[in-house]
Amino acid sequence: MPIDATLKALAEPRRREILRLVWSHELPATAIADHFREVTRPAVSQHLGVLRAAGLVSERRDGTRRLYRAERDEIQKVRAFLDDYWTSGLSRLRDVAEAAEREKGKQ
Amino acid sequence: MAELVQEIMIEATPETIWPFLTDPDKHLEWEGTKVELDPRPGGVYRVLVAGAYQSAGEFVELVPMEKIVFTFGWDQDDNPIRPGSTTVEITLHREGDKTRLRLVHQGLPDADAVEQHRHGWGHYLDRLSVRAAGGDPGADRGPGGEAS
Repeated sequence: MPIDATLKALAEPRRREILRLVWSHELPATAIADHFREVTRPAVSQHLGVLRAAGLVSERRDGTRRLYRAERDEIQKVRAFLDDYWTSGLSRLRDVAEAAEREKGKQ
Repeated sequence: MAELVQEIMIEATPETIWPFLTDPDKHLEWEGTKVELDPRPGGVYRVLVAGAYQSAGEFVELVPMEKIVFTFGWDQDDNPIRPGSTTVEITLHREGDKTRLRLVHQGLPDADAVEQHRHGWGHYLDRLSVRAAGGDPGADRGPGGEAS
């Protein structure tokens, strides 16, 4: 399920931080790595790879640089998914409440 | 802060619906595999979803048959969102012998608010993980898979 990859990608705090960094403007990998003092560059690279595989960021090459940017549409799908989650919960509530109502009617 | 709003018409009276929101045993019938509810302001709200995801918060306001407000978050070590970090408000509007239920989940960041509310993402993650694990309304019965 594609949404599963999205969730796993977002489950790591540093990846969420990266997403925030590249939310409104494109950044080169070096600038992203510089933001994390306590994380090694290879580790940042790996996080970027996971985000990219999940479709949450796009990568563009400019000469030797790699530039990253958040894919907002993909992130909006996550919200749509949450909406769906509530819909199913409330429909279950409706089903059990309506069944209880019918039971009351019989008494 | 972003909010998520949902409405649903239920062919039952608020009196019938109310216990499903406040009585642990009845709550189990539609959500949760283990439910602990103390429906009074400051009282505990804990619903274990799909046998693996522990939601937690506390009741804020209760107006019997009309309105219930509770805080909400996830009580899990790997989740940056603390219990009680978002708020869910459910209101029941009587319409004849039916009820219009309205749910407003507040404190959620929408995509455009990520920069301002970065920590809010964690909440999404768990809610979504739960849904992703089950995939359909059967999820709460905790079929094999999602708990592992």
